[in-house]
Amino acid sequence: MHVPRRSRGGYSSPGRSGSRRRVVGSFAALATAAGLLSACGGGGGTPTLIWYINPDTGGQAAIASRCTAASNGAYKIETQVLPQDAGQQRVQLARRLAAGDSSIDLMSIDPAFTAEFAAAKYVVPVPDDVKSKLPQAFKGAITASTWDGKEVVAPFWSNVQTLWYRKSFAQKAGLDMSQPVTWDQIIKAASDNGGTVGVQANKYEGYVVWINALVMGAGGNLVTDPGAGVDAKIDVNSQAGKDAASVIDALAHSKAAEPDLSVSNEGTVLAPFATPQGAFQVNWTFIYQNYASDKATLNDLGWAMYPETVQGTPSRPPYGGIGIGVSSTSKHTDLDWKAVECITSPDNQGQYAVDTGNMPSSAAGYSYGKLTSAYPASLLQLFQKSVEAAGPRPLSPYWSDISGAIQSTWHPAGSVSSSTPASSQTFIQQVLEGKKLL
Amino acid sequence: MSTTVATPAQSAKTPPGKVVASDRAVAENRLGQKLVAPAVVIMVLVTAYPMLQALYLSLFRYRLTTPEDKGFVGLSNYGVILGDSLFWKDTLNTVIIMVVTVAIELVIGFAFAMVMHRIMIARGLMRTAILIPYGIVTVVSAFAWQFAFSINNGFVNSWFHWLPWISPQQNWFGDHWHAMFAIMASEIWKTTPFMSLLLLAGLSQVSEDMLEAAQVDGATWTQRLYKVILPNMKAAIMVAVLFRALDAFRIFDNIVIMTAGAQNTESSSFLTYRQVIQQMQLGMGSALSVLLFLAVLVIAFLIVKLFRVDLASARGEG
Amino acid sequence: MKQKIGPGVIVGFIVILVWCLLPVAWIISLSFKSVSETTTGSAQFLPKSWTIQNYKDILSNGDFTDALRNSFGIAIIATLLSVIFATLAAYAIARLDFKGKRVVLSIALAIAMFPVVSLISPLFDMWRTFHLFNTWPGLIIPYMSFTLPLAIWTLSAFFREIPWEMEQAAQVDGATSWQAFRKVIVPLAAPGVFTAAILTFFFAWNEFALAISLTSTTSSRTVPAQMSFFVGPDPFNPPYSQLATAAVIVTIPVIVIVLLFQRRIVAGLTSGAVKG
Repeated sequence: MHVPRRSRGGYSSPGRSGSRRRVVGSFAALATAAGLLSACGGGGGTPTLIWYINPDTGGQAAIASRCTAASNGAYKIETQVLPQDAGQQRVQLARRLAAGDSSIDLMSIDPAFTAEFAAAKYVVPVPDDVKSKLPQAFKGAITASTWDGKEVVAPFWSNVQTLWYRKSFAQKAGLDMSQPVTWDQIIKAASDNGGTVGVQANKYEGYVVWINALVMGAGGNLVTDPGAGVDAKIDVNSQAGKDAASVIDALAHSKAAEPDLSVSNEGTVLAPFATPQGAFQVNWTFIYQNYASDKATLNDLGWAMYPETVQGTPSRPPYGGIGIGVSSTSKHTDLDWKAVECITSPDNQGQYAVDTGNMPSSAAGYSYGKLTSAYPASLLQLFQKSVEAAGPRPLSPYWSDISGAIQSTWHPAGSVSSSTPASSQTFIQQVLEGKKLL
Repeated sequence: MSTTVATPAQSAKTPPGKVVASDRAVAENRLGQKLVAPAVVIMVLVTAYPMLQALYLSLFRYRLTTPEDKGFVGLSNYGVILGDSLFWKDTLNTVIIMVVTVAIELVIGFAFAMVMHRIMIARGLMRTAILIPYGIVTVVSAFAWQFAFSINNGFVNSWFHWLPWISPQQNWFGDHWHAMFAIMASEIWKTTPFMSLLLLAGLSQVSEDMLEAAQVDGATWTQRLYKVILPNMKAAIMVAVLFRALDAFRIFDNIVIMTAGAQNTESSSFLTYRQVIQQMQLGMGSALSVLLFLAVLVIAFLIVKLFRVDLASARGEG
Repeated sequence: MKQKIGPGVIVGFIVILVWCLLPVAWIISLSFKSVSETTTGSAQFLPKSWTIQNYKDILSNGDFTDALRNSFGIAIIATLLSVIFATLAAYAIARLDFKGKRVVLSIALAIAMFPVVSLISPLFDMWRTFHLFNTWPGLIIPYMSFTLPLAIWTLSAFFREIPWEMEQAAQVDGATSWQAFRKVIVPLAAPGVFTAAILTFFFAWNEFALAISLTSTTSSRTVPAQMSFFVGPDPFNPPYSQLATAAVIVTIPVIVIVLLFQRRIVAGLTSGAVKG
């Protein structure tokens, strides 16, 4: 039966399209309102400096209020939190800086992307007169803050890795920890005595930190002349690179490797260390506070300089931390530098270390009273010695590509062999030239 | 709302056989377009510019943080991608995940839909229980599953190590297939409710009378299923499979959190994300987006053809 | 139709409940584990020692409660608007004849297939120009854009199955078009509408990539994005306990919503309506 088509006459009423117009209109109104609201942010009065910080347990926010008070009304520092992951921090900041966002004044910048931001001119280099007022930072911290011969961020706090071990285990294994030890020594000591060596070997930046330390510890560099940007010379396939590969290979195939080696990070190594199988781990400075509530482990906790890759060549401990950068789009550059002087002052560095366990970047910061009473003196000395000797990762604007390419070719640790340096060098070069997908 | 009853007299005016747009047809045409307009405007507003920009940028070499190196390279980005083994590996991974998860979810989702439809006791509890996985924030679900499969903190190893292929210290994320299994388990758990909801919508439209008639005619349960229920649900099944497949092809959250692409478990979407967002390679990333989009288009085309259902021809069929 | 409560059905129930709720129980149990327990590692299902410290921490976290408010507001508004627009469009597609019908369906499908990651940068630029960055509409509009295709397709499939005769019969009986729509179509379409609403709501609820890219402060950041700002006990451990606690808090209202509306997503064609 043929059903005649009938239009839904009732629906072509003006009411329908009117409601649609109303909806579109209300969107436009909302958008304008949002725009107006965002425009009327700062009136007259004390300028507000917005400081984009990485998440911490409140230490930077506390510094912000102390420095606001100390400025006597000259400025007000407000903190805005970035995501937890350094990669996400970089992405968020870069996108907005590339769009010319002028609401960013100060930033807490990770060493991994300091060079990239400096080369893209997102940060203003530290002026000489300001530099003279900042506390003298450790050599490692200064290297990690320099681009093109200029200091581009003010070192704030410096993280460094040391070798942590269980004193009872070292005694059992007969290893003399008062002398520098090599990786081969601790791997052997651990496998022969039923212990494990905790490292970071997941597919992430922490793994490249380890690889870089091994390579630099053998006297080499992952990248020579990183300032040349995309034309930098990749030197992974050197004797140093091969030494590094053999250390990783040895650990991955020994009994000292932890079962979750391929997904291990700074956190996964904590639990095994606190068991009878715990022997060694390389990790950042937070370890001391981490075991503070575990008296048994704390009393057995020993610390030493980062292991050497090659017997006789001093090790280059990994470097981390944060530098404070001033955005080139900021409208209050002079006040920003005043704020930076306050934030990185020795007392604030020291207090920050007490609050969060993130160690100062200068010797002056380390002599802060409350800090010296919170940690054993030998530990603080070790930290300072380590930062001074630290080997920061290559400061290349293309570091995210290079690091990603290394992660791609060196992970999992079990697959590393003597041919890995060569294949990874080729891959890195192809990625930089845009010939291969990362 | 004014109520104009269309005058039947109008239709009599149109001479039979003459192909002329009657006033009614024109009004219907206009009405139809007005009704879809808001939706189309919103959809296109958000995606038109990005799509065009992606097409445009894919012809350049362009990295966000080194804008002075920007240069026109024509189609060479596509050449690099299509000749790269990483791209094909990721595509294979993605296809495997898509096929396996959609197939499993179709079966489980259908079972859930039947339960939700037919259940007479503890209705609220069962239906809510079935839908809860979908309501858990994806990021958290991925973390929870990752945690469950982890060695030191998870319960999977301690509960299931009596199974022959699982050891107490099994590193689920240590090799390709175990990691894929973990990812797929998490994905299936999370999105089966989505499938079951769409299937339920179709199931509830199967006429009870037809079922009763078939039962009266002596059809068994299986016969009723295959001859009455499934054919009448064809449209709903197609929508469910189509959208779920498209979503599965673009799997991202679970992989990012559980493995970050390690052990070769990366998906096409993750690859694109890394290029565009992490590497800030807007040129190469845009080319990848275009290719990803084309791949999805092909899949959709295949599925629609497979089901041979035409949603737009609503009338005329019984 | 009476249901036999045989042993098979009971087993089926239990299997389904376990399948759906075991991971949820795991998440709940995680939320009651203390932070130190998850850091040092405990490979057991239940906490060694139960603690509600996580809940106290999260509920007193102003950022999190802001994010909750944002998530709810954005999801609800996006759902309402999306469902309304989709219903109009789906009705037109399924019932009316107009030029470009198939084109609309194809456009909808194409947009549903578009990779979200490619949307991030251009949308960021666009929203900065229109001052929609870090606003509620800035998220609502893209969410609608991505959920409209599915809603339209679902509802079209639904409307397509509703027999044409029903509207006709109602109108022959003297009802106006509007009354026919309201009294006949709406009840039959309700399951489809509620299904589309639930799907849209959960999409907006779970969405992460756009939420983290198009917001910069807690004035519009939603819960999934806010979770990536959670600080663990140290920078290297994902804060599993906090994430689990946030998830529990965030899911309770969702469970309530689902409980309230789960009846609506199921419908039988009222027997008798089509007979005869």
